[in-house]
Amino acid sequence: MSSLDQRKAARPWWLGVAVFAMGALWLYGAAGIASTTNYIGLGPAAMVQVAGGGLAILGILLVIQALRGETFAAQEEEGADAAAPPSRSAFLLALAGVAMPLLTMKMLGFPITAMLAFTLVTHAFGSRRTLLDLAIGALIGTFSWYGFELLGIELGPFIPLLR
Amino acid sequence: MMDILQQLLAGFAIALQPINLFWALVGCLLGTAIGVLPGIGPALTIALLLPVTAQVAPESAFIMFAGILYGALYGGSTTSILLNMPGESGSVMTAIEGNRMARNGRGAAALATSAIGSFVAGTLGTLALTFLAPTIAELAFIFGPEDYFALMILSFTSVAVVMGTSRVRGFTALFFGLALGTIGIDTQTGQSRMTFGTLELLDGISFTVVLVSLFAVGETLYVASRQTRAAGVVYPLKGGAWMTREDWKRSWKPWLRGALIGFPIGSLPAGGTEIPTFLSYTVERRLSEKPEEFGNGAIEGVAGPEAANNAAAAGILVPLLTLGLPSTATAAVLLAAFQNYGLQPGPLLFATNPGLLWGLIASLFVGNVILLILNLPLVGMWVRLLLIPRPYIYGGIVIFALVGVWGLSTSWMDLLLMCGIGLIGYVARVYDFPIAPALIGLILGPQAEIQLRRALAVSQGDWSVLVGTPIAATLLAIAVLVIFLPFLVARFRGAMQESKA
Repeated sequence: MSSLDQRKAARPWWLGVAVFAMGALWLYGAAGIASTTNYIGLGPAAMVQVAGGGLAILGILLVIQALRGETFAAQEEEGADAAAPPSRSAFLLALAGVAMPLLTMKMLGFPITAMLAFTLVTHAFGSRRTLLDLAIGALIGTFSWYGFELLGIELGPFIPLLR
Repeated sequence: MMDILQQLLAGFAIALQPINLFWALVGCLLGTAIGVLPGIGPALTIALLLPVTAQVAPESAFIMFAGILYGALYGGSTTSILLNMPGESGSVMTAIEGNRMARNGRGAAALATSAIGSFVAGTLGTLALTFLAPTIAELAFIFGPEDYFALMILSFTSVAVVMGTSRVRGFTALFFGLALGTIGIDTQTGQSRMTFGTLELLDGISFTVVLVSLFAVGETLYVASRQTRAAGVVYPLKGGAWMTREDWKRSWKPWLRGALIGFPIGSLPAGGTEIPTFLSYTVERRLSEKPEEFGNGAIEGVAGPEAANNAAAAGILVPLLTLGLPSTATAAVLLAAFQNYGLQPGPLLFATNPGLLWGLIASLFVGNVILLILNLPLVGMWVRLLLIPRPYIYGGIVIFALVGVWGLSTSWMDLLLMCGIGLIGYVARVYDFPIAPALIGLILGPQAEIQLRRALAVSQGDWSVLVGTPIAATLLAIAVLVIFLPFLVARFRGAMQESKA
């Protein structure tokens, strides 16, 4: 990681901006809630305003903290090295695995989606035995589909396209 | 007193039914397994099992959850000792001395003192819960809506301040959860809020989706991007002697002290398990006759924190069962589980559903016995779980996350939320935001809103009702104090040092 990156990581001012933006969105949304039923002094918009206002203030505080140089160190997790330079490729592979269902779940169904997501995630963690991973993923996916169906949890048709 | 014993006996009658014993065993097995495995904790496991429980009687489901809750503690200590990998935050202190002992070939003794200490303290904690919970529940009968509201505010501020390293980040997590909690139809007026015109959001964002995304997805992304290349070293058990007479002598007092420290702190709102385990470790180091052994494998440093950890877990159930107040992520999931069954933990539950509550409490005693049996002789089997290659563990976690999210209502929107909130969980880990406040904000926020509106409706819009009862006023005062406490302590220390100089 270059020193420039490190400084960026240490001062995530954009995080505060994002939190502020979410707060602003909530405040904006609260303005759109009709308060005709406001007979007890506290309508349905109040809680939205509190949440939005709180986030907006905290967003500003986070920006100030970041600009002042407060450290935002990564958390220690089991099996993760917080000090290690983050691997973008591994992150993107894992993210692809998590996002894959958005594309495939509706058409290809749970077992195939589980197989693909499993393989992408195992590759993010350094596995290179693609065929074996696909097979294991397919097995776990199929067993989960049947098993949870038995328990009464509906995971959709086995392969929706074939229906 | 007699009444409580009678209720407890009735509870045992439920917990000892074969079907419930079976579920307790399943819970203990699952709990120990996930305690040993990285990346998956009791909160996530229970959340993933929530849909399954639709098929099971509530008594059985909660008995299983209790097994998972306690089992994860036993499993977590195993990996702390043998691998120096504390699976849960409560076993961080165990790892320090326990892993040293394992390196010195005393792994078996460390595992034994931790398992027996967990059993002793878990049983003592459950005993305290047995007698304390009904009393507090009685007390809660006099709680009005303003008192409940104040209690929730106290819970919010203490969770946001205690968890994590920074108050601003703690409160950001809390308000993130509160904001998510406002999405959907307002229960009192039927107005839709923050749904952005999406039908799927009318029901609100499911607690399970948020929890699974923040924990499973966030953790997978984070660990994937920052993997340690070095594999963990398992210190073998061979050649190590079991606990010697000397070990017993040095262990029994830390067990009792750990239980004494763990239970009361665990039962505070935002008590958790980190503080009592840390405190117990410090106390044991102070009291030890051989303080030089600390850092090199002192058995007291394993016995005390492990006991504190399990007693705190029993303590956490006190505010949850009596007031419906969760203080950890796991407790928040348990609250969600109660709500799934249409039950609200609290004083009324002791009156309307004694079988469930006393069955649950009795099963905690049973679970401790099962776990002692499962963990002492079978520890070698659990360690084998660590032979599963890491890619497969995380690949499996993602599949089960998908089951949990897609199985809720086979909604594409939930999958999208899983990605989005999962990314937020990743960012939270990179920049050190605590996660539990978000979950507690999400689950308690709507309830705090209901209580506030109820209080204002009763008082016809007079805001002074919020400090109108001594309970509410005191709780709110403590809540404010909690926010400024770190600040005041720093000031006080500064002033002390100045006056010394």
